[in-house]
Amino acid sequence: MKKISLVQIKANEKVRVLEILGGSNLENKLLSMGVYKGKPVVKLSHIGLQGPVVIKAGRSILALGHSVAEKIIIERE
Amino acid sequence: MMKKIYLIGNPNVGKSVVFSRLTGVQVMSSNYPGTTVEFTKGYLTLSDTKVEVVDLPGTYSLDPTSGAEEVAVSLLKEFSKEEIAVINIIDSTNLERNLLLTLQLIEEGFPVVICMNMCDDASHRGVHIDIAKLEELLKVPVISTCALTGVGIKLLTQRIKEVVSSPKGKQDHQQRWLEIGRIIEQVQRLEHRHHTFREIMEDASVRPVTGLLMAGGIIFTVFRIVRFIGEGIINRVTDPIFMNIYQPLLEKLSVHWQEKGFWFHLLIGDLINGKIDFKQSLGVLTTAPYIELGMVLPYVVSFYFILSLLEDIGYLPRLAVLLDNLLHRLGLHGYAVIPVLLGFGCNVPGILSTRVLESKRERFIAATIISIGVPCIPLQAMIFGLLGKFGGFYVGGVYLVLFSLVIILGTILNRTLTGYSPEFLLEIPPYRFPPLLMLWKKLYFRIRGFLVEATPVVLLGVCFINILLYFKLFDFVTAIFAPIIHGLFGLPKEAVVALAIGFLRKDVAVGMLMPLGLSANQLFIGATLLAISFPCVASFVVLAKELGFKGLVKSTLIMIGISIIVGALLHFTILR
Repeated sequence: MKKISLVQIKANEKVRVLEILGGSNLENKLLSMGVYKGKPVVKLSHIGLQGPVVIKAGRSILALGHSVAEKIIIERE
Repeated sequence: MMKKIYLIGNPNVGKSVVFSRLTGVQVMSSNYPGTTVEFTKGYLTLSDTKVEVVDLPGTYSLDPTSGAEEVAVSLLKEFSKEEIAVINIIDSTNLERNLLLTLQLIEEGFPVVICMNMCDDASHRGVHIDIAKLEELLKVPVISTCALTGVGIKLLTQRIKEVVSSPKGKQDHQQRWLEIGRIIEQVQRLEHRHHTFREIMEDASVRPVTGLLMAGGIIFTVFRIVRFIGEGIINRVTDPIFMNIYQPLLEKLSVHWQEKGFWFHLLIGDLINGKIDFKQSLGVLTTAPYIELGMVLPYVVSFYFILSLLEDIGYLPRLAVLLDNLLHRLGLHGYAVIPVLLGFGCNVPGILSTRVLESKRERFIAATIISIGVPCIPLQAMIFGLLGKFGGFYVGGVYLVLFSLVIILGTILNRTLTGYSPEFLLEIPPYRFPPLLMLWKKLYFRIRGFLVEATPVVLLGVCFINILLYFKLFDFVTAIFAPIIHGLFGLPKEAVVALAIGFLRKDVAVGMLMPLGLSANQLFIGATLLAISFPCVASFVVLAKELGFKGLVKSTLIMIGISIIVGALLHFTILR
């Protein structure tokens, strides 16, 4: 199955985090901010083609740089 | 025996506001993560003994991932757990995310009391938390507070004495999130409600089209308002005071001054057509206070009023998201807008706050860009005052040159510097509307800071210049640099003094250009050069502190090189 990351979906889609690529450093950082495997998130917006992605996880709104968003693999509900 | 109390919590939960309430020490707070990059200390009296209270930078967990977080965690381990108490401050509107740090603190056996802050905002947003149940589940004291208004602070100081250290088995983050899920289910009730106007605005400001439109509108409006308030204060308050009250007073004084010797020169300066001219006389009692209070202070007031407002509402992180794309090309990421905007007030806090950026490379780029391309408000005020009368074209020109420089320089630095720029990962706070009282306090704090730091330098600076001019000690320096200044930049040789004074204070330096009778183009070059050349001595000191000796030398060479190139380019394109 092809992996879909946060940059590939449309705004307002509700998805679930499947995997975080890019090493334990990023994974830990996201983990401490509340984004981890199995967490439901909503993509709020995507600024420009290579720009940051804004998501809602729980009650937090997070802005992720483009390359961070690329590393967050998700599954559709 | 309790020796220290630490305030710890996620970024942007109001730690600094709680700190102010506990200790009476006024500290900066804003609505964005990372206002506190260094720790602050104060004292609290607990049953007749004074205990030191330390406000730590915000952290998401006890495994630090940034410099500011490292500071927080290492300080926490300075004393043994029996000697300290930890106040864990939580944003009640986002309990879930905050609990990770809480669980870690409890597991490690820190003597914790939990302060559920922003309780009023939580109920506004339909978040209801069962405090008693939370206390029962966590087995540590939990107090609901609203630090802005002071609710619950007294109870907090009473219950802090109850804390005990009781370590628990450690879990990993994944297990902690599971536990947090269980806790949340039992203590938090969310009221379902329709989107409020505030939430719609929160959303719109981070969407591509509406966000950019809003950003453009806000930046334009901010610039207009800063000028409107600044000019308003000058025309209605400071100029009338200087012209109608202070000038007649000084003139009466100088009439009785028979011998116009050294002291007259030092205090009053030169008379222009037999009268005191605040812009040209250059005396310690005339031009010095006029520059500082009559030209610069009004803009300092209006700029910080608007900046404080934007900070507290929570707009800046949204601007960071929108500008991330552009800043990426300069080797920075969106969050660099915070140090840059602070730099527009004064380069010193701007450079200091580059600490919110993680890598050394980013900090170097940001600090260099700020000291070259970001003019502080005193300098901008003088540019408005001097160039404004020749038309907006010249004022806009200075900004255009500086903006192009930032883009070119940033692009070059990004391509040539080794190292990496870490990724952008930022929490966006909700919009909040702070009570006006908080805003006034912050504004007062910043204005007082400006007056305390600037006044002695301006007075001593003008005094020093006058002594040098009186005894003609500048002639030597002027003679050496005159060919460069004149040949390369097209400025008269007297401008050497002004450019040299730029190292002391930029506003005084521009002031030194006033009596030279320069043409609009020459003034434009002079002002632009002052903006990009050496930062003033205060920024120089922080630059050295933040970048280290090697970084400082590198940054300085870039600055000198650019000043010469830009000065010469402008001279040969617009003066010839």
